[in-house]
Amino acid sequence: MPEIALTAWQILIVKVLVILMVVPMGAIVGGYAEHKVMAHLQHRLGPMYPGGFHGWATTLADGIKFLYKEDIIPDAADKRVFSLAPAAIMVPIIMIYLVIPMDESLVIEDLDVGIFYLLAISSVSTIGVLMAGWSSANKYALIGALRSAAQLIAYELPVVLSAAAVAMLAGSLSLVDIVRAQDWMFILWPPGLGLALFLVFVTGAIAEMTRVPFDMPIAESEIITGPFTEYTGMRYIFSHMFAEMGHLIAFGGIGATLFLGGFQPIVPWEPLEVIPGIVWFLLKTFFMIFLFLWIRPTFPRVREDQLQKFAWKFLIPLSLVLILLTGAWVLYV
Amino acid sequence: MAVTEDRGLADTNIDGVRDSSDVAAEVSSGKLMTEEMILNVGPQHPATHGVFRLLATIDGEVLVDADPIIGYMHRGYEKLVEARDYRQITNLVSRMDWLSGINNEIPLHIALETLMEIEVPPRAQYLRVAMLEMNRIINHLMFFASFGAELGAITPAFYAFREREDIQFALEMATGGRMHFGFFRPGGLKEDVPRGFFAQALKGVRQVIDRLPDYENLLIGNEIFKQRTVNVGVLPTDVAYNYGVSGPIARGSDITFDVRKDEPYLVYDQFDFDVCSAPHGDCFDRFWVLLHEVVESAKIVEQAIEGMPSGPIMGKVPRVVQAPEGEVYVRTENSLGELGMYLVSDGDRRPYRLKIRTPSYNNVSALPYVLKNTFVADMIAILGSFFFVLGDIDR
Amino acid sequence: MAVDERKLEEARKPGFGLGLLKGMAVTLKHLFKHNTVIQYPDEKQDLPARTRGVIALKEENCTVCMLCGRECPDWCIYIDSHKETLAPKREGGRPRKRNVLDRFAIDYALCMYCGICVEVCPYDALFWSREFEYAEYDIRQLTHEKEKLSDWMATVLPPPPLEEGAELPGAPAETATAAGAAGAGSAQRPSSPAQDTAVEERPQQAAKTPEAAAASAPPEALASESQRSAGEVQPTGAGAAQAPTEQKSEAAVGDTTTAEPQQEIGAAGEQSDAVKSGSERTPSKPERKEAEAAAEPQGAGGSRGGEEPQAVYERVLQEQRDRGSSPQVAEARAKVARVKAERGLRSAVAPAPAAKPVPSAPQQTRPSEPESSGAPEASGPEPEPGPVAPTEEEATPAAQSEAEEATPAEQPQEEGTSPESPEAGASAAPQTSAEDPEAVYERVLAEEKAKGSSDAVATGRAKAARVRAQKGTKGPGG
Repeated sequence: MPEIALTAWQILIVKVLVILMVVPMGAIVGGYAEHKVMAHLQHRLGPMYPGGFHGWATTLADGIKFLYKEDIIPDAADKRVFSLAPAAIMVPIIMIYLVIPMDESLVIEDLDVGIFYLLAISSVSTIGVLMAGWSSANKYALIGALRSAAQLIAYELPVVLSAAAVAMLAGSLSLVDIVRAQDWMFILWPPGLGLALFLVFVTGAIAEMTRVPFDMPIAESEIITGPFTEYTGMRYIFSHMFAEMGHLIAFGGIGATLFLGGFQPIVPWEPLEVIPGIVWFLLKTFFMIFLFLWIRPTFPRVREDQLQKFAWKFLIPLSLVLILLTGAWVLYV
Repeated sequence: MAVTEDRGLADTNIDGVRDSSDVAAEVSSGKLMTEEMILNVGPQHPATHGVFRLLATIDGEVLVDADPIIGYMHRGYEKLVEARDYRQITNLVSRMDWLSGINNEIPLHIALETLMEIEVPPRAQYLRVAMLEMNRIINHLMFFASFGAELGAITPAFYAFREREDIQFALEMATGGRMHFGFFRPGGLKEDVPRGFFAQALKGVRQVIDRLPDYENLLIGNEIFKQRTVNVGVLPTDVAYNYGVSGPIARGSDITFDVRKDEPYLVYDQFDFDVCSAPHGDCFDRFWVLLHEVVESAKIVEQAIEGMPSGPIMGKVPRVVQAPEGEVYVRTENSLGELGMYLVSDGDRRPYRLKIRTPSYNNVSALPYVLKNTFVADMIAILGSFFFVLGDIDR
Repeated sequence: MAVDERKLEEARKPGFGLGLLKGMAVTLKHLFKHNTVIQYPDEKQDLPARTRGVIALKEENCTVCMLCGRECPDWCIYIDSHKETLAPKREGGRPRKRNVLDRFAIDYALCMYCGICVEVCPYDALFWSREFEYAEYDIRQLTHEKEKLSDWMATVLPPPPLEEGAELPGAPAETATAAGAAGAGSAQRPSSPAQDTAVEERPQQAAKTPEAAAASAPPEALASESQRSAGEVQPTGAGAAQAPTEQKSEAAVGDTTTAEPQQEIGAAGEQSDAVKSGSERTPSKPERKEAEAAAEPQGAGGSRGGEEPQAVYERVLQEQRDRGSSPQVAEARAKVARVKAERGLRSAVAPAPAAKPVPSAPQQTRPSEPESSGAPEASGPEPEPGPVAPTEEEATPAAQSEAEEATPAEQPQEEGTSPESPEAGASAAPQTSAEDPEAVYERVLAEEKAKGSSDAVATGRAKAARVRAQKGTKGPGG
């Protein structure tokens, strides 16, 4: 690499630009993937026309369409809160990307407390959802927002606990170190235990993303996208679609980093290391995203009380037990 | 608690945790009561299949009270038909319950044939039965699809629509229509079916049967689906009787009443089929009955086509269809329940009065009872499992 | 109690996640399955013939009896007419009155597609077409006037054959005779109802239209056109009798543009009288049937001498475009042609080289034969003999175009031209003439004008004829 001397400010600007690019691009790609994967799972083709080849420009066209839509703010809405809510949802999601290592050195900021930061920031957007729901002056939005908050509290715990177990296994809170610790992916090794942690993480992640089967807060056949009922145009994409996709890809990346060995090859074998780390990372992220997309059309959604019951009576105790087992593994194996 | 006892249900709890009605009862009995809020569900709402409105009083997530409001789609069929002759009525009544168009035509024609004393040739009867049952399959698959979609599982909808298509195509081959067939005429059929119809129909129904296991795996066997439907929205047998509920919903509440069996019309008595019923009266049982009726209907279609007699498809009908003075009540098993038509004729080419008893109207009247003390999410499941068509309610 | 209670109880029990996995297996299975989606604007479903898509009006058949308008449940048919007094047919006869259709419109914004109008029409003037792509941005344009309704006529398919065990409508006896004459196996031929209809239709039409047509067009031109349309059929492959058959079956569908002229012939000249008699006289029927029957096995066997259905489609589409039809109509016509090709209803139309030499081709003058079913074109230096199937008069535009395509005939029929029996004509593959394309253009234009076609149509047809002439001259057959 040629030596380019950049000041700290310039580096910062580049980083910010990259992040700002990644999220919308990711949303576009993720949205397309969702359209197509779901369509094929459902025995249909999905969008085929926009852009020519298999409708690759669908989500782009969608986004542009939303740009042109009128931005309606209901009369009775709390206007400032209402218009701030999309930002409050979107910004924390963008910030997740800060710490995810795409390759050994391809990470915006390798924080020492990366995993801690990750878990903290990923739940902040719920505040935005609450803001949106409350300020919309709509009963459906209110129900949705409250469901969303309740669900976040319930499902943040299993995610945190499983991530904590990963940190214990790796012996570090830095995501890069966690990846380096995975000569064998954590999902495979420790055997069984890693898989169980992974499943707990996936369940919690789906609930945090409010995707089927845990999409009670936005259940469109019931409370019509919940907190976002009153949103239109750009605000709607930011609060709902970009947020959903941003979340999806972020959690795909987190899952790939924590359990699938991030930028490491799938097995520690010399020839595989020729392939650059970012390819491995992207492959694993796609796998995670496919998993999320696969679950979505297959299951019905659970009811709010069942969801809470499942979290508090099953998932959290299970993850506590898993933490215990992990501790034992770390100590004695 | 009181509510549960009223319904005469034992604690049929499945996972050791109190089920929704218990929690709901606790809320309404005051222990967890908070401020009530009125939630207006509909008239434009994805779960109401059209313009159906539900005025729900909710306390948090619990429906304390629900008041269905209908009439947004009232088109005045009973008055419309008084100004039209019978052939025109055929095409009008098929638009009441648009999902089972041809099933709506049959009571009118049986009524006319009874009044005019026309004998319908066997081939026409068999063709009628085959088409009625194909239409029933289409209808049931539609509700199967929408029920899944309302619970959040969108995939069965696409599979079901794929299966519908073949049967739909067969019906289109014969009648030219996809929803409103207008194929029956007093005394028989409009014309005979085209070549290839039998093959297409058989292909369609067999395909449905072949693919039912997929559906069962997707929904019936799914734990989440069970959680959402088992013991949710229980309609006890006596309540079902009192509200005059019929069709798959009544059969889901252990009422083995099916006009096809109990009061056979056409040639239904010549076919071997069973009346499905299930004892619990909850969403799951209604859905179960719906799915198994598809199998029974497919059986009838196969039998009808295999035993299809040849011959004419029209009886001896005067050139002008004119029912003689008199009155008759005919009831048939529509896809959603008992469809009755009370035809009063004064000897004109038009009916003097045609009273239509539609299944959905009676069925939804039981909704307030079932919806009381359930969750908002259950409301969707219950609405979905009550299999109603708005046009059929409002006429 | 079909529901097995034990099974039900089993199904109601909560599971332990196995059901979830099974569900995921189902969706994953579908991920790798081949898709059944029809990509609508690109591919279109082949809808059944009975599909109630749009109502087509065969204007010539309408007698303004108003039955359709009266029976319509939502009164969306608008009909205007006036009475016209016509000169008596024979000297000293009584002047006759006749209803002339001024307006026939269907408001598709109101129409409920019940099909009662089609059903009640006693004169077979209304048909269902399976076209459905006529959505408009302006609701007023959904009211289709009679011109547009007549345009749809080109897309009407013949009624489908009936399922086994059905009582055949129409004239089963006749079919039987024909079958008997032709030999075994042909009685089942599905297309027969359609043809019967066509046959039945004729007399009515003949009764109705002569006067009007007489007024509008010089008989010679008409005759020539009709002859040409009959003449250019080129049997490409096997069955000798195929040519007449094919066209005839198309006649069942019936666009009547050519029909009128032919009926005119009777009144016009002696010779054409022969044509007419040939076509209408009962004795000729069996023969035609026979011819048909002979052709059928071949058609049914799929070994059409002619083109692949898809090729037919492409070609007709191109022709229609050349003719200046609207894309919609062109496509529809092409589709109809394809369907017919698939069903084996027609072949004949191959523009491609005539497969057979033409022994009996130049027949300048011949004594007319009473049972002849056609009149060969005999006029010009380039003789154009071709079996004329009598009922072909109403060929669909598609058919028509094909028909026109082959041989630009030299000139209107001359007196003394003799009709040819199908047997004789069968062996004679009609050829394309070597007429100069430009000349063809002029001639066809003149003819069309004479027929009273609108300018656009006339030019369109003339151009098409020219194109065909150009092609034809290149073809080995010419």
